[in-house]
Amino acid sequence: MIRRIFIAAFAIISLATPVFAHAFLQRAEPGAGATLNVPPMRVVLRFSEKLEPVFSGVAVTDALGHSVESGAVVIGGNSIMATLRPLPPGRYRVVWHAVSVDTHRTEGAYGFTVKP
Amino acid sequence: MSFFCKRATTPQFLLLTVALAFAAVFVPAPAAAHGVIGQRFFPATISTDDPFAADELALPTITSFDHETDIDFDYSKSIFRGFAIGFGIGHIDAKSPDEPRIRGLGNLTISPTLEVYRNPKHEFIFATGLEWEVGGTGSKAVAERSSTFTPTVKFGKGFGDLPESMKYLRPLAITGTAGYAIPGAHDEPKSIEWGGAIEYSLLYLQNNVSDQGFSTLVAHLTPVVEFALSSPTRTGNGGTTGTINPGLIWSGQHIQVAAEAVLPVNKQSGHGIGFIAQLHFYIDDIFPHSLGRPIFGGKK
Repeated sequence: MIRRIFIAAFAIISLATPVFAHAFLQRAEPGAGATLNVPPMRVVLRFSEKLEPVFSGVAVTDALGHSVESGAVVIGGNSIMATLRPLPPGRYRVVWHAVSVDTHRTEGAYGFTVKP
Repeated sequence: MSFFCKRATTPQFLLLTVALAFAAVFVPAPAAAHGVIGQRFFPATISTDDPFAADELALPTITSFDHETDIDFDYSKSIFRGFAIGFGIGHIDAKSPDEPRIRGLGNLTISPTLEVYRNPKHEFIFATGLEWEVGGTGSKAVAERSSTFTPTVKFGKGFGDLPESMKYLRPLAITGTAGYAIPGAHDEPKSIEWGGAIEYSLLYLQNNVSDQGFSTLVAHLTPVVEFALSSPTRTGNGGTTGTINPGLIWSGQHIQVAAEAVLPVNKQSGHGIGFIAQLHFYIDDIFPHSLGRPIFGGKK
């Protein structure tokens, strides 16, 4: 019986490729909670799945909640990129949302600090 | 009936499952986001019910504890967004020291879940449900002949809204469930079935609090402690019994693997240390355009 169960389980796994899923954040630059000596030029977020550009995005703000982006956010493939204005020392917040190509939505937020 | 003895199957159930699966494949609907609320991903807990109405399959769940080994199958199908019906069956093999070995299929369980309230900002969800153990559907050797109905409330809460001074507690989340078990046989005692889980998400820590440089493999781990307890409502029917289950859950893009130790809370709950392990499939992620969508409501 156990053998049949595992055969069924592996059949499902094999049927599952290629598939899509929730777009989870896999890598962020700068990373969550980072303390930086040099202000970052951009924020880059890489996800586990391809994104729907229309429904995905990021906002980077300073401690007062003002946007510090210098241009349009670029979304392509698995990534979201926001170019930043020159950042003075302080704390900043990154708020993102991502919709994978199969319409699953995820979101997240984190902070980073630029040292004086 | 032992602590884990509860599942069975019937030809009617199999037909119903096939019919639902068939309907789900051919009726388009939007993908549901099971286990995700706000910034929080809740993995599926394995010893207790979580509050999400999701498309998922646990195949198998293997439990070995106190001279009994169970192999369970659980499938949950979303009917519309926020409402799903779960079906469970299981094989029981028990051999107490002074008793003959018994084995067979347990009773079928049918368990609808309705998500009543979601608060993404505070990572909170509340749901109600019902577990119906269909008496007489299992083997006479191991399953009750009468049904048991257990109306249940369930919740989940992530602590991502804690202040900055407590940021390392933000990856914490809890789930809880409490139900009132009403046996169909009048001579059987009613009981409160309750439990929950305390979990610490390394993914939440990595992505939302402090980048620890975890590899993808490590970042998707969630240490968890679950507890599943049963308290009779009348004195004279014994005290609370149950287990505490510490373990690890690894959540991938499409599957989840979990393993927990099973520790009895007292002598009445069993002897020794057991284990429970599960392979779990996120059907909404594996088949997002067919089987993983709710049957009704939400064409693209």
